[in-house]
Amino acid sequence: MMIFFLQLSVLFLMIIIFNSFITNIESDQGISLTPVLNGFASVDVQDQSGLISKYINPSVINVIPSNFSTSLNNIALGKTTGFLYVPGNAAEKIRTGQSIDMIVYLDSSDPKSSVVRDEVNSTAKVISQSYSNSLSASATPQNTTIPTINQVSTGEPLPLQIIKKVMLVILLFLPLLLFGNIIIDSVVGEKERKTAEILIAMPLSQAQIIIGKSMAVALTISLQVFMWLIILLIAGFNINNPLFVFIFIFLTSIPIIGITTVVAAYSKNYKEAGIGLSIVYIGIVGFLIVPVLFYISRKSFLSNISPMTIVMRLFSGESISLPDYALALICILVVSIISYWIAIKLFERDDIIFGPRPGILRLIFDLITFKKF
Amino acid sequence: MDSNEVMIKIESLTKSFGRIKALDNLNLEIKRGELLGIIGPNGAGKTTAIRMACCILKPDFGDIIINGYSIHYDPIKIKSMIGYLPEEPNLYERFKAKDLLKYFAELYGVPNKDIDGRIDELLELVGMTERRDDRINTFSKGLRQRISVARALIHDPDIIILDEPTMGLDPATANSIRTFIMKMKGKKTMILCTHYMEEADSLCDRVAILNKGRIIDVGTPRYLKSKIHGDVILKVKIQKSVDLVNFQKKIMQFSSVGAVDFVDGEFLISLKHRNEISDIVDLFNNEIISINTKEPTLEDVFINTVR
Ligand SMILES: Nc1ncnc2c1ncn2[C@@H]1O[C@H](COP(=O)(O)OP(=O)(O)OP(=O)(O)O)[C@@H](O)[C@H]1O
Ligand SMILES: [Mg+2]
Repeated sequence: MMIFFLQLSVLFLMIIIFNSFITNIESDQGISLTPVLNGFASVDVQDQSGLISKYINPSVINVIPSNFSTSLNNIALGKTTGFLYVPGNAAEKIRTGQSIDMIVYLDSSDPKSSVVRDEVNSTAKVISQSYSNSLSASATPQNTTIPTINQVSTGEPLPLQIIKKVMLVILLFLPLLLFGNIIIDSVVGEKERKTAEILIAMPLSQAQIIIGKSMAVALTISLQVFMWLIILLIAGFNINNPLFVFIFIFLTSIPIIGITTVVAAYSKNYKEAGIGLSIVYIGIVGFLIVPVLFYISRKSFLSNISPMTIVMRLFSGESISLPDYALALICILVVSIISYWIAIKLFERDDIIFGPRPGILRLIFDLITFKKF
Repeated sequence: MDSNEVMIKIESLTKSFGRIKALDNLNLEIKRGELLGIIGPNGAGKTTAIRMACCILKPDFGDIIINGYSIHYDPIKIKSMIGYLPEEPNLYERFKAKDLLKYFAELYGVPNKDIDGRIDELLELVGMTERRDDRINTFSKGLRQRISVARALIHDPDIIILDEPTMGLDPATANSIRTFIMKMKGKKTMILCTHYMEEADSLCDRVAILNKGRIIDVGTPRYLKSKIHGDVILKVKIQKSVDLVNFQKKIMQFSSVGAVDFVDGEFLISLKHRNEISDIVDLFNNEIISINTKEPTLEDVFINTVR
């Protein structure tokens, strides 16, 4: 029962993270309400009339005075979200009742662009509103005009594209989180069914046992991921570089199996292992997803620490630099080495397998004093 | 092959589980080809000692040297020499009997060409040939025990360690296992833990009596039996009315009497020889309900030493 609810909470956590993210991107007015999004996006603006600086909502968008060429450069570098061009004589034109053309340049692959677009649109409405008011007040019969906006953008519409991407990347990684019970069964099961004795009496080292069991699971997972990938491809998901996507997901399964094995090696029974695993998986899911979300809002190098980010970039067809790959691979390697080492050391301790089991603090103490480890 | 060669040498073996001291400075030597029995009350540390010899548990202190290898440095070498039958016959439930044996044969490194022959032979030995295609989870406790015996012997080990092999078996099956142990005797070095004293008496070359983690005594069954006060035990069942203390005093005055016990309305009198039996019986007069003599058994030794 307990396990069930814990697992449910992992799913909930995922849904909550996902949901809050999407609502933030999608909502028309809700954005300024979320404090997290303060200065969410920035826009380079070329605007001599000062119209925009006056009316744009500063709690959402930072306005940076700029010009066309530097701004396009900044967009390409991901430093800013878009460039808004307002004609120099805009204020004059509006006052005399002529229409003006504002132009927004956006990078569609940047999820924040939708926010900027919405914000600029609403600003334009505010401007037209206030001017038509002042015009009618002066009682001059003129035709009021609303500034029109030409949007220059490329690629799929956002944020649907982001939702799809995040959803797909989570779908792709799903199999990795469904295999905990196999590992638990093959390690904790030995304790529960009291077969650990004949297992350990065999002429195998504990390292061989742990690695052997993990490899069996890794093999099953790789098969599952492979089939899963094919199903998603058939279902019409757009996945670039499927081979690399597969390899990366498979590599990610190795440290996850390692961590799961640590939990299984320490647990006395299925119940404990289930609870332990649910807690650990919250951490793993967080570690995988948070950098992805981070990457979407700010293309930082560190976001590549999560293999999920790499996979998302791979299937989106982005070109990925070597250091980005290296960061993810090093992360996988380090976590793998540490987790398997701990799992093997735990399995080598008879008190952990046959009892009386030492507490976690005791183990940490033994670890730092190199006793029995 | 030197028959006096020490195969297993247990040195100062000590092990605690938390506050419980399961083994306390245990020392013992077992020669090649010898069958050593270990008896002792529940919780004496028999299983613990055996598990350490199989490199399943690690001692807090001390060592076991098996065929020249230490359990600290060469556990894998040692494990491959030992066939171990655990106390509880827990097996992988989903396997079929023959697949289970095959699985273990492979893990123990039995050459592929020998596996099938070996499995047939062992199934025959434990009388499970007809059940070879049935799953373990359909077996009764005794059948599991038989498969466990076969499993323990799958790699034809030089050393066989059996922890209560006949516990919970019907007399016929228990006997077939004893017959098997008899057959192996002399060819393999064996350790046999048991609570059946006749089993230890009839099978073992030597018996070690373990209590509270220490060896109380070790020797041939004959030697151990001779040590308890004499050769004969006189059992006299008497009427309830008699003055026990007075009787006991009188009995003790005979020179042949080693010890007197009163259990369940019966005097148990250990005698060094039979010469005074009639005089002792006369003492009870017409209070006697029944009377008989018996040779001391290992059970008497057990009850006498483990108190
Ligand atoms: N894993 C364990 N955790 C805690 N205590 C243990 C453990 N294993 C054994 N003990 C304790 O060590 C002592 C010796 O146990 P052991 O199993 O060796 O006894 P035994 O002689 O085999 O008894 P039995 O005749 O009942 O099989 C007992 O007091 C037991 O409770
Ligand atoms: Mg025992």
